[in-house]
Amino acid sequence: MRAIDHYAWTNRWRDWHPVEKGLPAISLLVLTLLLPPLTTAPLVLAGAMLTTVYGAGIPWKTLLSVLAAPLMFLLAGIPFLAVSVDFASGFDLTLSPEGLQLALVTAIRALAAMSCLAFLILTTPLTDGVLLLRRIGIPAGVIELILLIYRLIFVFSERALTGRQAQAARLGYSRLDRSVRSLGLLGGNLFQRALEQARRLEIGLMARGYTGELQVLPPQWKPSWARLMAGMMGVGLVGLASGWLARGLS
Amino acid sequence: MHITEGFLPPLHAVAWTAASLPFIFFSVYRVNRLMREKPETKLLLAASGAFAFVISALKLPSVTGSCSHATGTGLGAILFGPSVMALLGTIVLAFQTLLLAHGGVTTLGANVFSMAIAGPWVAYAVLRSAKGLKAPLAASVFLAAMLGDLTTYLVTAGQLALAFPDPASGIVGSFLKFTGVFAPTQLPLAVIEGLLTVVIVNFLREYSSDELQNLRFLPKPLVSEARP
Repeated sequence: MRAIDHYAWTNRWRDWHPVEKGLPAISLLVLTLLLPPLTTAPLVLAGAMLTTVYGAGIPWKTLLSVLAAPLMFLLAGIPFLAVSVDFASGFDLTLSPEGLQLALVTAIRALAAMSCLAFLILTTPLTDGVLLLRRIGIPAGVIELILLIYRLIFVFSERALTGRQAQAARLGYSRLDRSVRSLGLLGGNLFQRALEQARRLEIGLMARGYTGELQVLPPQWKPSWARLMAGMMGVGLVGLASGWLARGLS
Repeated sequence: MHITEGFLPPLHAVAWTAASLPFIFFSVYRVNRLMREKPETKLLLAASGAFAFVISALKLPSVTGSCSHATGTGLGAILFGPSVMALLGTIVLAFQTLLLAHGGVTTLGANVFSMAIAGPWVAYAVLRSAKGLKAPLAASVFLAAMLGDLTTYLVTAGQLALAFPDPASGIVGSFLKFTGVFAPTQLPLAVIEGLLTVVIVNFLREYSSDELQNLRFLPKPLVSEARP
């Protein structure tokens, strides 16, 4: 979490308007889902990864660790797409070529889609994107709620880590039953302190004339049409190349 | 159990998003009204949302060796009620996608449906009916959290089965396949989450019944019992 948030705030493209990064990333994601994966996905994967590393200046290691996040899920789920179960004659497991094809297609599509997501989350701080939600009609109150949650997540996770360290130092996680108890106490404590924090925030804000709205200065960006066009052209290029590749292969 | 980015075919991703939207809209409407009536609600909900995120990011002690996380759906439904949980859960899931790369943008709808809608509603229903049957509080909290967790897992397996029906035995076979694969991690996880929720609820009832009173504006079967 730290790594993703850190690079989101410090990468080379940090000061670009979120639309310049978000629109191409989402378009590429949609393209990945809609076009035939066998030809599109490798191109998308390469394009998104190279842009993230050489464009935005994110280290390979960080990017790869983000891409590996869903690895457990894929490792558990993908093999079972390839295998087919038949109950007609008892319990029959068969490996079919169509199943293998489906597993392969799904795996590379998921990876390619993940690379688009990785680009987006590693280059754009969460708060930038949230401010755009206002444009699509999310109530201002709910947006403030989201921003408050974002702020408090870091406060609480620091507390959670400290608490966990203290518990571990006292052998709180040495056995399964102890672990469940320790984690439960930690959770209860965290919630209690979360409520306290909320009350203190409330008192502090009331003293400053809080009436239900937090006034903040939104950043003054101007989207650069040139960069947006360049991004979208890159996406279009990937789409065209994959179409051309698909025709060439068939 | 988050479905990863790009795993679902486009049609399914769109369909699950469409299925989740009415619940989210209703939740936004409710939460927005609550916040306008009592401005301090916003801070309380923010603290609770952040708490839900942190709790779900903590690694659970696991039996099978794979790393697993709590879902917190049961606890959320018990503390805030399912209609508020839909929005809080959606925000938490979106944060998990954007800060931890768990889940995905296109699969957010499907994940919201299993974790922020189906799980909490079942947990809430179980809690209410167990309370109606005069079951001891610890037992009803355990059942609510465990069954909420199991529901989440079964709904996810169902979503995967609908998206990838088995060539030989169809959707049913595929459903059994996916429940089977994830059972070794998910079944112990559900029990542990149930126990964990009981410990948390007991702690809160013992040490923060005052704070729980603050949650009164939400539909809360628990608080009435926590009142001295």
